[in-house]
Amino acid sequence: MTVAWATLRRSWLVTRRAYPWSYFIGTLLLGVFTMGVAYLGLRAVAGDQVPAEFAGRVGTADYLGYIAVGAAAYMFVVHGILWIGKAMIQEQREGTMGALVVAPARRLPYLLGFAAFAFTAVALEVAVLLGFALLLGVRPAATGAVDAVLAVAGLALAVFGMSVVLSNVMIVAGEAHITQNTVFQAVAVLSGFTFPRDYLPEALRWLGELIPVTAAMDVIRGVFTGGTGLDPARLGVAVLIALGYAAAGLLTMPWAERRAMERSF
Amino acid sequence: MRHAVRIFRAEALKQHRRVFGSKLVIFSMLVWPLLTLAQSYYTLRPLAAAPGIAERWPLAADPERLLAFLATGTLGFTFFFSLVQSAWHFTFERQTGTLELLFLSPASRLVVVVANGFGALVQNTWLFACFAVAGFTLLDVVRVAHPGMYAVVFLAMLVPAVAWGALLNSLLIFSRDAAFLYTLLDDPMWFAAGVRLPTFALPGWLRAAGSVLPLTGSLVVVRGALLDGRGAGELAGELAALALLSAVMLLTAMMALRLGEARAQRTGRLGFF
Repeated sequence: MTVAWATLRRSWLVTRRAYPWSYFIGTLLLGVFTMGVAYLGLRAVAGDQVPAEFAGRVGTADYLGYIAVGAAAYMFVVHGILWIGKAMIQEQREGTMGALVVAPARRLPYLLGFAAFAFTAVALEVAVLLGFALLLGVRPAATGAVDAVLAVAGLALAVFGMSVVLSNVMIVAGEAHITQNTVFQAVAVLSGFTFPRDYLPEALRWLGELIPVTAAMDVIRGVFTGGTGLDPARLGVAVLIALGYAAAGLLTMPWAERRAMERSF
Repeated sequence: MRHAVRIFRAEALKQHRRVFGSKLVIFSMLVWPLLTLAQSYYTLRPLAAAPGIAERWPLAADPERLLAFLATGTLGFTFFFSLVQSAWHFTFERQTGTLELLFLSPASRLVVVVANGFGALVQNTWLFACFAVAGFTLLDVVRVAHPGMYAVVFLAMLVPAVAWGALLNSLLIFSRDAAFLYTLLDDPMWFAAGVRLPTFALPGWLRAAGSVLPLTGSLVVVRGALLDGRGAGELAGELAALALLSAVMLLTAMMALRLGEARAQRTGRLGFF
């Protein structure tokens, strides 16, 4: 707990003083432009009419609301991975990984501290994006406060699980640019943020099931756009896969750290 | 002239060795553009079924042609964004101190920045370009007025892209922070240039902002020639505008190089990063 709290405080301090805005602006622009394309497309191209076929698939005729929730969730995922997944490689690049390895701090609270930082920072971003969505006339609504909290918690857990595994991949490969961008693009297509997943070919739909974020997104959809409420079965799936990822990541972390340290000498 | 050709070859070879160092390059060359294309296609597809879309945007009424429209957009964006990336890489020259060496050498500065952009362009786009051509053939959506239009399309992407690359690279003589270029020209560029939407869907002020981006003009020519079957005569206005824009960009690049070098000589800041 001390470690998590200290990491959270450190991250906020560093971000406020040293590099404040680049991730913030980058991910926010992505969300804003995704919404912008949907808005202009609906206005000018579709003549303000949402086709019945889409409404039938997703259970709502609110195309913009659908995109807004997806864009906000996507921002949440991207930003979470940028901070939690990149925490270790950042230490490696700055030359402090050796100190971290010998320090009497465990990795789980350390990463949880980063997660707490990422999710508090991204809350700001999502608020700005939803403010923008309100300007465009979007009114996303949850089916209930408890549902909303559980759905967001599920997504956060899914992001955390993925980040732990990614963190290992990054320090072993000694590379973050290709890894992170490939993951972002793949998740954008496979997990159905801005379109219903049943558009995808069947093989890709199954591939998506391997990513914890996919099931978590289905829960978010039920609560924030479909109006069908919380789906406990999908939430269970998301939590299980996420915990599986986190456990696998934490178990292989000592090996990954050894590899990374050996290579750096 | 032989001098320039030698510098050009050396700089392009350097790009090749740098970029092709690892197999991971396949991701930025093919996998990312493909995934982006899939995402934008599926996001816009619900709108393609809207009633009356055939009058507003005939192209989108057919999913295959909508895909081709988005693929041309992605192809154009890959072209121009690879130059943003190359400009970003150019700052590593500053960090490693080779930028200063480059300016101490008698090599023509303009040739260096043009070759740098050209090298990056060819390296980064050939794979997705081949893929896009194969895709157009399979979907059977291309209607050209004349086979010569393929050459026009190619030049309409290549020339403005190279001029754009030269401009971005030359601006980095002034700036020590290139990461901002990356943020500024990634999402805003595809949005304002009509990569995922036809330009008529954009509000007027955004269209005005987009019209100074060479990507916008290139896409109009590419889509007009390949998807609407318009001939060189019909596209003459757009082609002339592109040529003018390219010339302006090259002139600005030359000026930026000259001013930047003079300033660097005065302040000695070329070696800082």
